[in-house]
Amino acid sequence: MTLQRTELAPLSEYAIETHGLTKRFGSFTAVDHIDLTVRKGEIYGFLGPNGAGKSTTIRMLCTLLKPTSGTAKVAGFDIDSQANEVRKRIGLVSEKLIMYTRLTAEQNLMFFGKLYGIDNAELKPKIEELLDMVKLTPFKDRSVGGFSSGMRQRMNVIRALIHDPEIIFLDEPTTALDPQSTKFVRDTIRDLKKGGHTIMLTTHIMEEADELSDKISIIDHGKIMATGTVAGLKDEYGTESMLEVFLMVTGRELRDSASDRVSMKAVGRM
Amino acid sequence: MQTKARQVSGWKVTTEIAKRDLLDLWRAKMLLVFFILMPLLFMTMFGFIYPPTVQVNPYSGQIPSQYPDLELAIVQQDNGQIARNVEAQFIQIAESQGIFRVNEVTDYATARNGIVKGQVTGIVVIPQGFSAAIQADTQATIQVTVDQTNPSVAAAVQSEVAEIFGAIESQISTQYLQNLDPTVNPTFALQPMAITSIPLIAGVPTSFEYLAPSFMALTVITGALNGVSTAISREKEQGTMDGLLVAPIPRQSVILGKIVAQTVRGLIQGFLILGLSMLLFGVVIYGSPITMLLVMVLGVASFIGVGIIMTSLAPEQETAQMMTTLLQFPMMFLSGILFPIAQLPVAVQYIGKAFPLYYAADALRKVVILNASVSIIMPDLLVLLAYSIVTMTIAVPIFNRAMSR
Repeated sequence: MTLQRTELAPLSEYAIETHGLTKRFGSFTAVDHIDLTVRKGEIYGFLGPNGAGKSTTIRMLCTLLKPTSGTAKVAGFDIDSQANEVRKRIGLVSEKLIMYTRLTAEQNLMFFGKLYGIDNAELKPKIEELLDMVKLTPFKDRSVGGFSSGMRQRMNVIRALIHDPEIIFLDEPTTALDPQSTKFVRDTIRDLKKGGHTIMLTTHIMEEADELSDKISIIDHGKIMATGTVAGLKDEYGTESMLEVFLMVTGRELRDSASDRVSMKAVGRM
Repeated sequence: MQTKARQVSGWKVTTEIAKRDLLDLWRAKMLLVFFILMPLLFMTMFGFIYPPTVQVNPYSGQIPSQYPDLELAIVQQDNGQIARNVEAQFIQIAESQGIFRVNEVTDYATARNGIVKGQVTGIVVIPQGFSAAIQADTQATIQVTVDQTNPSVAAAVQSEVAEIFGAIESQISTQYLQNLDPTVNPTFALQPMAITSIPLIAGVPTSFEYLAPSFMALTVITGALNGVSTAISREKEQGTMDGLLVAPIPRQSVILGKIVAQTVRGLIQGFLILGLSMLLFGVVIYGSPITMLLVMVLGVASFIGVGIIMTSLAPEQETAQMMTTLLQFPMMFLSGILFPIAQLPVAVQYIGKAFPLYYAADALRKVVILNASVSIIMPDLLVLLAYSIVTMTIAVPIFNRAMSR
């Protein structure tokens, strides 16, 4: 094995820190001067209506989008100037399946593992371990295209874990999953926290945010509207329901038109 | 078990991505079948559209026809002995050579109706006074009507009719000259010079000699162009591109990996076409495969930049596909793939020559069939190289920006 020079992360209690993080698409401001801090080892719920700027923020923190202005540090590294150091330390589970459907489960994991410079000797046992963890070992030689949505999402999760990232971003991980798969994904998130991972979670399911998060931020129109612990927020807004907190913060009107515009630009055009 | 992410070298990532893309193709069995069928179908189709063009002296009696067995009407208005002999000879030559099926029709109006109804493609009239003119040693007339609504068939009918009458005329002339003076050599009198050709290559030339290298160039280049742009836009759309870009890898290796995979794919298809042309259509290869490879790789390089620019600009896969198709079609017709561009108006020829495909096909044709050396095709190669450098210089920054706006 060759010795690799890896930069040491500056010591900080925060896994993620942003200062005035902003993203504009033309004249539209998707994310507007966001300041947030995520402590190491916590599950951070990042909530907001469609088009509020959640995915754009996550994509900037994952180095998939360049911020228009402001800075952010993920795992102690700058997302712009030290993007590759950030990438080594993060895993992304998005709503979309990041898997090649024609390839088998094992072929997919081998491919993604190699992108992280993990050699065969390490990769093979790691893949076995991960497949076993999500109970997909019997399907390792099957094309992912034939998997059910629950199986796909389990694959999606373990793909993000192949290089043991410090921080895991989960963008609506349980959307469209059956109750069994939803429970499985939620249990996995808890296990990851126990294993010392930091997790940033976006979801539209308020009970999920309530159940899992240590801390929650609610974002709307690109701005952070409220931040606090689950109990703290409920106290502040004088309600027992996270859904009520959410609706008090973001209002009750529907947001369909705005969501369309943002998702086209932020997701479709990368 | 703990694993740790490490920075991987660009070349290693490029290879991994290329390997994955090829594995993806390999696992799509149906796609693989069409991947082989497509060029085969193309070759066969165009081979029949452009049948062998063999130049044979009409006086030898062998007159090849581009349109075999066309229906022709003949109207005998003279009925003299000579006129009837000429008619009989005409029918004999036309039918024995399989050029025309000749229908004797009593009057011109009926024959004309035949064209209108689509039953015949042309009319030959031997007018009143034909025999008398010949007997009086004056020039006789034959009248020909063709279907002007179908210009290419009309031209063929006109020329075939002229050639058959040419053969009959030479017999009449020979007899006439011998009657005048038996010491005259009629062959010399009629045709003091014979034109023969020294073939550039052995064997009977067929259009496949033109088409095979053309299609090799076309398939490799458009395959790579399409392949890269659809591969990238598909990954963008499906979300797998995020999986690549969130990994600690150089951005350029993503695009390079796709290029390598699509080039390998295109080269396999190119050589497949060559093999099929040899096997099924008797094309003989004279050139070196190494030089062919060089031309094809440069051909791909000259185009790939364009594909990348289109993909970076297109919002989704369908648009990217439309854009490449829009480029491919004029290219196919104007760059001398299906027919030599010398047939086109000069202004259009310049457009054809603006596409790098023209130079790739030209070079490949010279190499495959005429065994041209690298130094002979150097001008073509330099043009391709220039295109590669210019398009890539524009494409790479556009791609990088599109990937991390």
